[in-house]
Amino acid sequence: MGEGEKRSAGAVRRVWAICAKDAAQELRRRVAAASIFFFAATAVTLVSFAVGPFGLPSEARDRVCSALLWIILFFCAATGLPRAFVREEETGTAFALRKVVSSSLTLAGKTLFNYLLFLAITAVTVPAFSILLEWRMGSVGALAAVVVLGGYGLSVVSTFLAALVARASQKNVLFVVISFPLLLPLLLSAISATIEAAGGSSPATALRVIVAYDGAATCAAYLLASAAWED
Amino acid sequence: MPATTLEARDLTKAFAGPPLFSGLSFRAEKGFLAVKGRNGSGKTTLLKILAALAHPSSGSVSVRRGAEELSGDARRLAVGWAGPDLAFYEDFSAVENLRFLSRAGGRPAGGADLARRLEEVGLTGALDRRVGAFSTGMKQRLKIAFSLLFDPPVLLLDEPMIGLDTDGRAIVERVVAAKRGEGLVVLASNDPRDFASPDQVVELGK
Amino acid sequence: MKILKSLLLPYMAAVIVGAFLWPAPAQGFIGESSRIVFFHVPCAWTGALAFLVAAGYSIAYLARRNPRHDDVAAAAVRLGLLFAVLALITGSLFARIMWGSYWNWDPRESSFLLLIFLYAAYLFLRAAVEDPERRAKMSAAYALFAAVLMPFLFFVAPRVTSSLHPQTVINPQGKILMDAPTKAVFFGALIGFTGLFFWMLSLETRTARLDRVAASRAAAR
Repeated sequence: MGEGEKRSAGAVRRVWAICAKDAAQELRRRVAAASIFFFAATAVTLVSFAVGPFGLPSEARDRVCSALLWIILFFCAATGLPRAFVREEETGTAFALRKVVSSSLTLAGKTLFNYLLFLAITAVTVPAFSILLEWRMGSVGALAAVVVLGGYGLSVVSTFLAALVARASQKNVLFVVISFPLLLPLLLSAISATIEAAGGSSPATALRVIVAYDGAATCAAYLLASAAWED
Repeated sequence: MPATTLEARDLTKAFAGPPLFSGLSFRAEKGFLAVKGRNGSGKTTLLKILAALAHPSSGSVSVRRGAEELSGDARRLAVGWAGPDLAFYEDFSAVENLRFLSRAGGRPAGGADLARRLEEVGLTGALDRRVGAFSTGMKQRLKIAFSLLFDPPVLLLDEPMIGLDTDGRAIVERVVAAKRGEGLVVLASNDPRDFASPDQVVELGK
Repeated sequence: MKILKSLLLPYMAAVIVGAFLWPAPAQGFIGESSRIVFFHVPCAWTGALAFLVAAGYSIAYLARRNPRHDDVAAAAVRLGLLFAVLALITGSLFARIMWGSYWNWDPRESSFLLLIFLYAAYLFLRAAVEDPERRAKMSAAYALFAAVLMPFLFFVAPRVTSSLHPQTVINPQGKILMDAPTKAVFFGALIGFTGLFFWMLSLETRTARLDRVAASRAAAR
């Protein structure tokens, strides 16, 4: 293997080590998963009581349900994803991490963990949501694509901003305030794509925007990681 | 292997007020550099800056191997650090902590290597115990083990004797004596007993 | 700056007088409402310009760690917020006259609302961090992260739906559909507002720097 390849293989292993550590911590305590799960359960139940029994025409139902779904997913992210960095700062382990590994790789590892956590939550929440709201999905494959691609963007931006709020006060409110303007374009595209998927048509245009957003956010987060998390 | 040099040029650090220290410059290559000063004089901040865990308000720090200046991962591996702000993952054992940190640092250490390192700081009996259940002295010993994790040529120890019993103190003294012969030790402390004939002294708060 | 200030006063007075007296109201607009273009568009322009200034100085801060660059970036955002709010209010008044309601979900309107949220979020972030060096670094990181995602903000929304916005300035033909007096006052106003922005920026930056120096002196006592 050449030097460059060795370095990249090493970087991947390090990112994986960080992700695995967060996963191991989560498995022992289950705080993030539990808080996201309870939030999602409450929100979905509330929405299904309010919207479910009423016969909305299918076009309106698609719009309303898509919007509600992504609102719930946004707040799930806001509830559970910032913990990745906040806990490191609060317990003081952030110093050990900063001493041994760069901010960019740390961010990558935590983003990976948050993304996997998010996918795990959506695997339960989205089916429950569509069942309780009697929301017939035109194309499940397209919906899965929207969740996978949109969820990635949501995770990248949320994890980056988590690094910022970890060292600020009023973390919960601050996170929602600073993430909302940045995530809105992503959420709007995800909602349109979900509406199209529900209707059975191809969400290709919206997905293209989401992929572009994901790419831009990933590069920006990687480059700005040390400005966000180091002193 | 060419010697590793630590150089500080015109370091100034201020936290929203008058500077903690300013215009601080020194150069150290091998041996034992003592950092003295009263509480609040900036010893911890200085050591963090040397460890690249904090940025100075102005000035620079460089770690050189021969003529080549180290940066990024090379610098991280070349400088070991332990200080009062360092903490470990309480849910994991000492071995798990060090194993994770060695992997994150890009130099994964095997079980035997980790066991040896923990034995050197006298933690053999507590290999698999949760760090959350450690006493202050045990946590301090783990910090020393962490600072030596990548066998760095430059070792920064900030108040290394805190919470240690006589055995613990002896361990630190042994570590310092060994390291000063083959590399550089920078030790910051309030306690004059911690400084056994330093080669260089930096005094803060004057 | 002193020269700019003394020139700016008579210049802006001339622009305002000109806006109301010189060009005739444009075709297709209700009453005198087309005159709003002399104020609304420059406000929107400066509101967006402020973002570029803030982003530029954020890059400068991360490169050089000079606290003055952070002062400018924060000052630019504060002014950007002011001008963006003015743009939204003037646009909203125009909408009331032309189409009967204050808010119409016009994509450009919504993008500006989002820009306002972004500016407010930046200022909220600053308020939540005490240490000045940390605050400067984190604000710069946020501003630049937002700058990368900005195109999505401004081009995703307006891309698909057709806009209610009059097509006199930004239109598919790429031409400016104004008569000579209107064009003169319009560009005059644009230049004037830009000058106004930079003058206010210099004041705001100076105040921020004095605040910073005073705070560090107070901490010393």
